[in-house]
Amino acid sequence: VPGPLRVHVLLAQLEVHPDTVLVIRGDTLVPHDALLADDDHVEIRPVISGGHA
Amino acid sequence: VKCRVCRGPAVIDLPRHNANFCAEHFVAHCQEQVQRAIAHFGMLRAGDRVLVAVSGGKDSLALWDVLSCLGYRAEGLYLGLGIGEYSEGSGDHVRRFAAERDLVLHVHDLRDEHGFDVPTAAKATNRVPCSACGLSKRHLFDKVALDGGFDALATGHNLDDEAAVLFGNTLRWNVSYLGRQLPVLPARAGFPRKVKPLVRLAERETAAYCVVRGIDYQVEECPMAAGNRHLGYKDALNRVEATSPGAKAAFYFEFLDKAAHLFAEGVHEEQANLAPCGVCGGPSAGEVCAFCRLADKASAAQPVTLGTGRPR
Repeated sequence: VPGPLRVHVLLAQLEVHPDTVLVIRGDTLVPHDALLADDDHVEIRPVISGGHA
Repeated sequence: VKCRVCRGPAVIDLPRHNANFCAEHFVAHCQEQVQRAIAHFGMLRAGDRVLVAVSGGKDSLALWDVLSCLGYRAEGLYLGLGIGEYSEGSGDHVRRFAAERDLVLHVHDLRDEHGFDVPTAAKATNRVPCSACGLSKRHLFDKVALDGGFDALATGHNLDDEAAVLFGNTLRWNVSYLGRQLPVLPARAGFPRKVKPLVRLAERETAAYCVVRGIDYQVEECPMAAGNRHLGYKDALNRVEATSPGAKAAFYFEFLDKAAHLFAEGVHEEQANLAPCGVCGGPSAGEVCAFCRLADKASAAQPVTLGTGRPR
């Protein structure tokens, strides 16, 4: 994805609900208004777990 | 964005709280939320010896960490469910977490001790896997907590879990379950005190807590849970939350404040009708309890092997 762009814009582009993921750069969390550079690598980690009877 | 407390750079924003936090104050926020839940609902007393049911996922490991930090004598309980590589990985995460922090961990295994695993039970009984899994966990967690003389059994149910379960029970007006969906259930014959100290934290918060605290948890979701009804309820509630931050918390906590007591009577009647199971002696609505019936059927079935996991 070409940058720079804000995390919340990236999530909107990917159609990912912000409440359902963490965005991690390196080993650090980044908030939704953080600006991601063109060469940044981020992990978008799902946080929703299921498995209830 | 800046941390609400120290004005330093924030690492997480929480629309529900209209707040942002740096790493240090986010940890403090999470621990404070757990303390508030424990105090408000009378879950634990200072110095209680607590058995924490741990799966290796974010919620249970965050819970174990928080309770330990808050000074409770928190010991872990891991139950091997036999779900192929998923269970092997989850067990590794739990053992590593306990070893690194020098915490006491109790390990039990469905197949080794009861002759079946979750995939086999699901197939043998034609039930969805989460049903056989939940039944087994409830029965064995209770038993280990009672046998070990713990003051309480703590599970990592978070706000999203509780809101989703409430949503499902309300859709069907399942009044029996609604009467029991409380953050603390007192001890009674055959049951330990059961507490859910994470009910004030959303699952994004428990996951973020683990990242900030350096807790290496099992990120992969249970392969048997994919597409289940509970995940659909979470998705529906997250769509509501997107346009109405705080809706999930209001749904759940207003239920506790204003409606849960309306369903208590039916639960009391059910509890009065329990008698010792003819096989295990645990509380049962019939001659033989649901777990012993499940174990009887599943242990006689051909074992199901998942993926490339350890052969059984």
